[in-house]
Amino acid sequence: MIVSEIKDGIYTIFLQDWDRRLFDELIPLPDGTTYNSYFLFDEKNVLIDTADPVKTEKLFEALKRLNVKKIDYVVSNHSEQDHSGSLPDLISKFPEAKIVVSEKGKKFLTSLLLIPEEKFIVIKDGEVLSIGEKKLRFIEAPWVHWPETILTYEEKNKVLFSCDLFGSHLATSKIYSCENEIYEPAKRYYAEIMMPFRTHIKKHLEKIEKVDIDLIAPSHGPIHNSPPFIIDAYKDWISDNVKNEVVIPYISMHGSVAKMVDYFIDRLTEKGIVVKPFNLSKTDIGQLAISFVDAATVIIASPTVLAGPHPLIFYASYLFKILRPKTKFLSIIGSYAWGTNMVKLLSEMVPSRDIEVLEPIVIKGYPKEDDFDLLDNLAERIYIKHKENKII
Amino acid sequence: MFKREIVMEKYVCEVCGYVYVPEKGDPENGIEAGTPFEKLPDDWVCPVCGVGKEQFKKKED
Repeated sequence: MIVSEIKDGIYTIFLQDWDRRLFDELIPLPDGTTYNSYFLFDEKNVLIDTADPVKTEKLFEALKRLNVKKIDYVVSNHSEQDHSGSLPDLISKFPEAKIVVSEKGKKFLTSLLLIPEEKFIVIKDGEVLSIGEKKLRFIEAPWVHWPETILTYEEKNKVLFSCDLFGSHLATSKIYSCENEIYEPAKRYYAEIMMPFRTHIKKHLEKIEKVDIDLIAPSHGPIHNSPPFIIDAYKDWISDNVKNEVVIPYISMHGSVAKMVDYFIDRLTEKGIVVKPFNLSKTDIGQLAISFVDAATVIIASPTVLAGPHPLIFYASYLFKILRPKTKFLSIIGSYAWGTNMVKLLSEMVPSRDIEVLEPIVIKGYPKEDDFDLLDNLAERIYIKHKENKII
Repeated sequence: MFKREIVMEKYVCEVCGYVYVPEKGDPENGIEAGTPFEKLPDDWVCPVCGVGKEQFKKKED
């Protein structure tokens, strides 16, 4: 754990989960993660967020190290259990503590953790809670990534406690992020958690940029002591700008699709387009999600299994749909032996707006001359589309 | 003599499939029952997945 003073009377409680390799039973965590709480000493003592229930004992150990005798308020920025999970045990150990939440946060904590109503103090956007010299200002920031989320800004020390926003799954013994170390984990985190909420983040960033921030203290991963670095990275990711990249999630069972993909990669590369193929039987889906953040085009490549696409292709296509990337062009390539309904089944997965679907290429058997011609044409179409849209 | 019934249209979220039913409104988010879709505030979002009004289309049935 990292229990360390970052500002006058403000302490980190970073609980590393070095070995955790999966989040939500879905997202790979190659670098583990941390659950971050912050303790503020003043006339009133405040704990900002708690920890995953598996780390409750560690949280209590940290509070003991800090010699905490009473807690007046626990700010719950976000009701998800990796930050709120220790609350039931915490309020029985510190029965005087009140939980400071948004209206929705109260509803969620009541239904998810069965916390009684009288424990809550509900705050609204812009409200300030004075705890002595320190003043906590609450900023409602719904949909990053739940509808109840708030950010907490400590005015005296200019610290923004941003909860999941600007977070990263990175178990480290460092308190502060190092720019070249944090970019990839932060982008991965954005891709997996925040990307569907680009338009909301845009509005929140406008609010945040009006605030004088010295430190951004998230609930996962290290603190950003250079806020413009992470804010600028987010601005780039949420912008409508796409890069001259083609992402190809693919599966090949007997080599036909692999041959198509291999040929197609070379044709795109010759045109100066960056290609990112992902063999879904081997790939880390987090890497695939990162590649969705700014690619202009996605080409799904699948064999036919029992008339439809390979189930792993369905999986990747569903992720693509729910992560709502800013991708501009999409197509499907693939192969079948005697019949296929792949395109129809996959088209039901395609987001219906803001994406242009290019004519799919589904061939019979192993690719032949005519099929390579079709792939040449698709590569050329993608090149022209990127050029027309000033992506090249 | 002829009673004209005004039927408020339902709208469906194209991202997650949530259906906005004007007769029910969205009281959890401050939208009273009986509010037609067109009268929802601009910053109203799908209560299930968070997308804006522009991602909704009229429900056909």
